[in-house]
Amino acid sequence: MQIATRQSGVATIVDVKGDIDLYNSPEMRKVILEELRDKRTARLVINLTQVRYIDSSGVASLVEGLKTSKTLGSRFMLFGLSPAAREVLELSRLIRVFEVFDSEDLALKAQ
Amino acid sequence: MDSGIKLVLPSDPRYLSVVRGAVERFAALLEFGEEDCRWITLAVHEALTNVMRHAYHDRHDQPIEIFLRERDGGFEVLMVDHGQGVRPEQLSGRALEDVKPGGLGTHMIREIMDEMDYAPLEGRNELRLWKKRADKKAGE
Repeated sequence: MQIATRQSGVATIVDVKGDIDLYNSPEMRKVILEELRDKRTARLVINLTQVRYIDSSGVASLVEGLKTSKTLGSRFMLFGLSPAAREVLELSRLIRVFEVFDSEDLALKAQ
Repeated sequence: MDSGIKLVLPSDPRYLSVVRGAVERFAALLEFGEEDCRWITLAVHEALTNVMRHAYHDRHDQPIEIFLRERDGGFEVLMVDHGQGVRPEQLSGRALEDVKPGGLGTHMIREIMDEMDYAPLEGRNELRLWKKRADKKAGE
């Protein structure tokens, strides 16, 4: 897995590439929580376009990010879910709790 | 054990992707559909991460054996570890109404597989999973 961050206005976009599983989800969790807690990002947007696999530990990291963002009053968004990633979020019945967008543009423009 | 394959690996998460690859291809070999291959792979992956995290408490050097075979028109997985066992009732999965991280893996396994049997035995734990293959259409 590769992970990188970039800015777009007030938003920070986290680009994730590869599989997210128990081996590397701690790294994604660390980046997400640093952006929210330490950098106080107002809008954190997770780009999952190049993620073809995510397991329950990856989903748990996203849930932790979502809960942290709510506590801090920031936004937490996902976009570009592959069919496999969407299936896992649906199976865990968590797809409804996230703000999910089809594209980066839609996520950044969302009110 | 009749025809099938056996994987032996240490409890190191870096091998998870290797096991996923083997399981998905074995399911395809047994003529499961593409979607079912993905689901079975996820279920086995989640069972394996449970062993790494809960039986071996994130130690990376402990032995895990995984047997894959065809049984009764379905895919059977037997996973054996020598770590700390859990009470079978702890594998019931949690209610998902409470949105929180953790506890999702067992729910996923139960949703995906048709059978899940766990046995904490003397010095070893055995988890057996089975999923029936969807009936083929006539003429296939």
